[in-house]
Formats: sequence, structure tokens, C-alpha cells
Amino acid sequence: MNILLDLLSVLLILAGAFFFIAGTVGLLRLPDLFTRLHALTKADNLGLGLIMLGCVRFAPDGLYIAKMLLLWLLIMASGATASHLIAKRALRGDGEDY
Amino acid sequence: MTQLLLLFDVVLLTTLLALAVAAVTSPEPRRAVMLFIAFGLWLSMVWARLRAPDVALAEAAIGAGLGGALMLAAARRAAKREAGDSTESAGDSGAGGPPA
Amino acid sequence: MHEILIAVAIILLISMSVGLIRIVIGPTPADRMMAAQLLGTSGIGVLALLAPALGVPALMDVALIFALLAAVSVAAFTRRRVGQDRP
Repeated sequence: MNILLDLLSVLLILAGAFFFIAGTVGLLRLPDLFTRLHALTKADNLGLGLIMLGCVRFAPDGLYIAKMLLLWLLIMASGATASHLIAKRALRGDGEDY
Repeated sequence: MTQLLLLFDVVLLTTLLALAVAAVTSPEPRRAVMLFIAFGLWLSMVWARLRAPDVALAEAAIGAGLGGALMLAAARRAAKREAGDSTESAGDSGAGGPPA
Repeated sequence: MHEILIAVAIILLISMSVGLIRIVIGPTPADRMMAAQLLGTSGIGVLALLAPALGVPALMDVALIFALLAAVSVAAFTRRRVGQDRP
């Protein structure tokens, strides 16, 4: 039972790392600002969620798990808001950038 | 375990040094501020690796967060003043202030 | 078991270092801000892995501050004065 749990958490953490690497490759390789934004935000939030799910196995108590869950929710909300803000600012580009 | 931690440290410190050099030698102010924010995050991770979570907290909140936001605003204001020195700078400082 | 955590943390750290290239070469400031956001999210991942591996549960608080930092820096970056909102 224990070794099954270990295996499951390792698999989850590796899947999260895979999504992080996919996000980084997308950030570097995609041609446009908006496509980069699309690759980055979604892949990162999913990867972070998988890593936190894998780390639940190592939590010392329940409060820690609650903290991780809240942190993930905060990251999802702030990531969505931030990508929206960046996209809107780039869409309206008023010459401040150049 | 020890070798892996050593590898972790090597990656962390190499990137920290590269970031510091890139931030100092950057010619453009806004890029330098972005690199400074990244440097603050990275330094905070070095403190976390040294098992000092309190110092890492202070570094991330004050060094990267507060200082980075203030320096972003300052770099934007400097760029705006430099771009439109005689025409646009009256709209820079809000309602009351006289143009520089 | 903890070796695997540190190995994955090293992989994430290398991925963050590669993402730094976008901050250096990024054509617009929005690209750089996006890369800084990636840095924050991956840093949270590294800290979440490091907390059980080093045995310091307080590192999760540092991760919380990282989340706040990403939000605050993006808000400072896209800030507008009132009345400047319409294109």
C-alpha cells in the first residue's frame, strides 16, 4: 500500500514536471506573444497542480494540505487575471513600449 | 543525496551569477528592472535552499516585490519623460504637479 | 524517495534557467513580464518539492509570497492612470 502511494506521487510529480517543461518550450519556441501566453499560463497552472497533488503524500499535517490547496487556487486565479491583463495591454499597445 | 544537492547548488549559483551580470550590464532600464525581479526571486530561492525561510520571505516580499514594483514605475516614468520631454510630460505627474 | 524530489527540483530549475532566455531576448516588455510569471510559478513548484526534501515545512509560506509577488508585479506592470483606459 505504501509503495503504491509512493509510486503514485512520483508519477504525479513527473507529470507536473513534464507540463512545466512543455510550458517553457512553448515560451521559447512559439512565434507570437498571444500564442506564447496561451502556452504558458495553462501548462504552468496544470503542472503546479500535479506537483502539489504529488506532494500531498509528504505533508506533515492537514493544515499543510489546506495551505497547498489554497495556494493552488490563488495561483490559478492570479495567473488567469495576469494573462488577461497582459493580453489586453498588448492588444491596446499605445506606443509606450517602443 | 549529497551529490544531488551539490548539483542543485551548482545550477542555482551559476544562474544567479549570470542573472546578476545580465541585470547590471543591461542598457535598457525596463529590461534591467525585469532582470532585477528575476534576480530577487532567484536569491530568495537560494535562501530557501539554505534552510532560512524567514530570510527568503523578506527577500521575496521586499527585495523583489516592493522594490521591483517601485523600480518598474520609476523606469516607466523616466522613459516617458525622456520620450516626450517638451510635449507630453505635463500629463506625467497627475493633476497638481508642474511639468519638470 | 527524497532523491527523486531533488532530482525533479533540479529539472524544474534547469527549465526555469532556460526560460530566462526569454527575459533577456524578449522583443517586448510583455514577453519579459510573461517570463517573470513563469519564473514565479516554477519557483513555487521548486519550493513545494524542496519543503519535504529538506524537511522545512515553512518553505510553503515562501511559496505563498512568491504567488503574491507574481500578481503584484503584473499589476504594477499593467497599471494605468484613471482616464487613460480607453485606447
